[in-house]
Amino acid sequence: VNGIAVAGRSARPDKGEENMRKYTRHKGRTVGLLGALAMSIGMVAGAAGQAHAGSCEIANSLDPAALVPDGIVGGGPFGESPSTVDSVKLTDEQGEAARAGNFRVGVVMQTMDIDWSTLVVAGITDTLEKYGVELVAVTNPSFRVDRQVAQIGDMIQLQPDAIISIPVDNTATAEAYKSIAEAGIKLILMHQVPQGLTYPDDYQAVISPDNQGNGQVAAQILAAHIPQDGVVGIVDFGVDFFTTNERTRRVKSWFAENRPDVTIKQVDFVDTTRAGDAASSFLTANPDIDGMWVVWDAPAMQVAAELRAQGKDIPITTIDLGIQAGVELAKCGLVKGIAAQQPYDQGVAEAEAALQVLLGNQPPPWIVLPAVPVLPSNLTESYRVVFHEDPPPELLEACKAENGCM
Amino acid sequence: LSKGSPIATEWIDTIRRRVLSGEGMIYIAFVILIIVFSVSSPYFLTLSNFENIGRQTALVSIIAVGMTFVIVSGEFDLSVGSVLALAGVTSAISMRLLGDHWLLGAVVGLATGALVGFVNGFLTVQFRTPSFLITLGSLGIARGFAMMLTDTRPIVITNEPYFKIFGEGHVLGIPVVIAWTAVLMVAGAILLHFSTFGRKVFATGGNTTAARYSGISTYRIRIATLTLTGLLAGFAGVVLSARSHAARPDVGAGLELDVITAVILGGAALSGGRGTIAGALIGSLIIGIVNNGLVLVGVDSSLQIAIKGFIIWIAVTARRQ
Repeated sequence: VNGIAVAGRSARPDKGEENMRKYTRHKGRTVGLLGALAMSIGMVAGAAGQAHAGSCEIANSLDPAALVPDGIVGGGPFGESPSTVDSVKLTDEQGEAARAGNFRVGVVMQTMDIDWSTLVVAGITDTLEKYGVELVAVTNPSFRVDRQVAQIGDMIQLQPDAIISIPVDNTATAEAYKSIAEAGIKLILMHQVPQGLTYPDDYQAVISPDNQGNGQVAAQILAAHIPQDGVVGIVDFGVDFFTTNERTRRVKSWFAENRPDVTIKQVDFVDTTRAGDAASSFLTANPDIDGMWVVWDAPAMQVAAELRAQGKDIPITTIDLGIQAGVELAKCGLVKGIAAQQPYDQGVAEAEAALQVLLGNQPPPWIVLPAVPVLPSNLTESYRVVFHEDPPPELLEACKAENGCM
Repeated sequence: LSKGSPIATEWIDTIRRRVLSGEGMIYIAFVILIIVFSVSSPYFLTLSNFENIGRQTALVSIIAVGMTFVIVSGEFDLSVGSVLALAGVTSAISMRLLGDHWLLGAVVGLATGALVGFVNGFLTVQFRTPSFLITLGSLGIARGFAMMLTDTRPIVITNEPYFKIFGEGHVLGIPVVIAWTAVLMVAGAILLHFSTFGRKVFATGGNTTAARYSGISTYRIRIATLTLTGLLAGFAGVVLSARSHAARPDVGAGLELDVITAVILGGAALSGGRGTIAGALIGSLIIGIVNNGLVLVGVDSSLQIAIKGFIIWIAVTARRQ
């Protein structure tokens, strides 16, 4: 509509015939262009990439068992003492009572678009099935607060006996979470507690990985790769989130307590798909970095891609055993060690905690699963512990005994 | 030439029109940013850092080539980020299931992108529905398929030639992703500005009715531009999976906004009929330089987002003066 003048200037619709006459000339150019493209492919195909000799000598010298922290490192958000998952284990008698209870449980996740959520929900589903409990629904708000608030309302309408949920955030969802107790429904939380909710009136337990323990394990593995007076680069999530805050806090405090010679530098990312870009610029501005700690595995793999692109062989440790980071570890690539959560077992504990509450028992407020140190030497075994299934072929193919991978 | 003479006045007016009051503003902004960051950080004005910026902006630049065609033709494509993810996934799966060869992976990735782009174009013209809405649907469909095909897990790629050709190799000392970006930019510029097809694209976006009366099949042109963008989003998916040694279903979320920002910063009109490939490249580089420079200078990550928004404000409003 507004383009008539533009058309007169740039498109010249009245010169269509003239354009067509020029067609053969342009066709020639196009053929030339395709030729240039083909040549480019040829040049590229022949180009040599940069070699990165993988080495896991140092990682192989570490004993995974010795890296496991003594007990749980971190406390709860209100300073609660941690309890283990044994505190909610169902006895045979309790199991029978749960089967007879005709209970109904709903799950409100933060997202179902990541591997971690799939494993947690698998743990919950399998456990509820084991005790004949009906799973009324699993919702996926895709990290959106407004959607999660709406889904909590929907879930209350389904009138389950208990809801298991991980809040997308601590503040905007708080009122919705309070309405769960007001509807007479029990609530088991994962990782964090929305503001203003009290134990045991508004929620009956929080199940969490040992976030600080994970940070400590990753820091210990990285420290073994850092020379005296070296520099560690931290790639952190720039959003106020309890889990990642706790991980980073412990990495820093562990270095301060055990390796005061090491200088810590830090870059944050806010967009989770742009961690690699932030790290790439950070590495340019800090050429003295000797090792990197990245707050979880997916951004760690972005950082690994940037290091490869810059031709730098700098050790990385991270938290969470994803398949991509696992393969990088297996082939003695840039990832030298991982501190893993146990999402499936966390799901089991959440379901059991919900059943304990429904049976009239009160679980402790802060139930924690310990960190699992993952090195090449215990990789396949750790995979089974974390995923409750055999490692996939790509991990087994990458895992070579001569590299110390088992 | 004396001051005030008609020739001098005309000459000054031409300069002002071309540089200060038109698309030239974006080039001035580009130079100013380079100067500011060069003064602020000793690491900015180095070859290795410019390689960083080239790598960081490669995906946006590659897709921006196609998006320029789409926007010039008066259309819009919101699905490119999801198409990038889906193409990476299909490429990785094909190499896993059908044969571990780089060419197979690349062809499947490109074909996936082109197919989604073609469907976008076909539905847009067939049902006379704005491409904005059709591609909004494709954004969800492509992402959903990528999630389903992978069960939300990344698919690891082990093909070394694939890494070297599309992600990590070097050509004449230049990182291969930058070389690919340059080749596609030049090819895109020739196609848009020096070919009959390009002229038809401008005509379609400038005044569709007039273009149709002059014998141009605007339907075909719009399908072609959306297919081209899909193809290039597919190529970007191949590049990203080669750099990452894996295809992840969650990559590229929100990338469409960066691509559209780059094209608009580069002088393209949202209403169609105007835009250049060189402008889109400069737009993409401006976003990349701001991202890079703010990290080098050590600006807080939250503040970076706001500063980027302000720079976009300044660039687009300056262009309108």
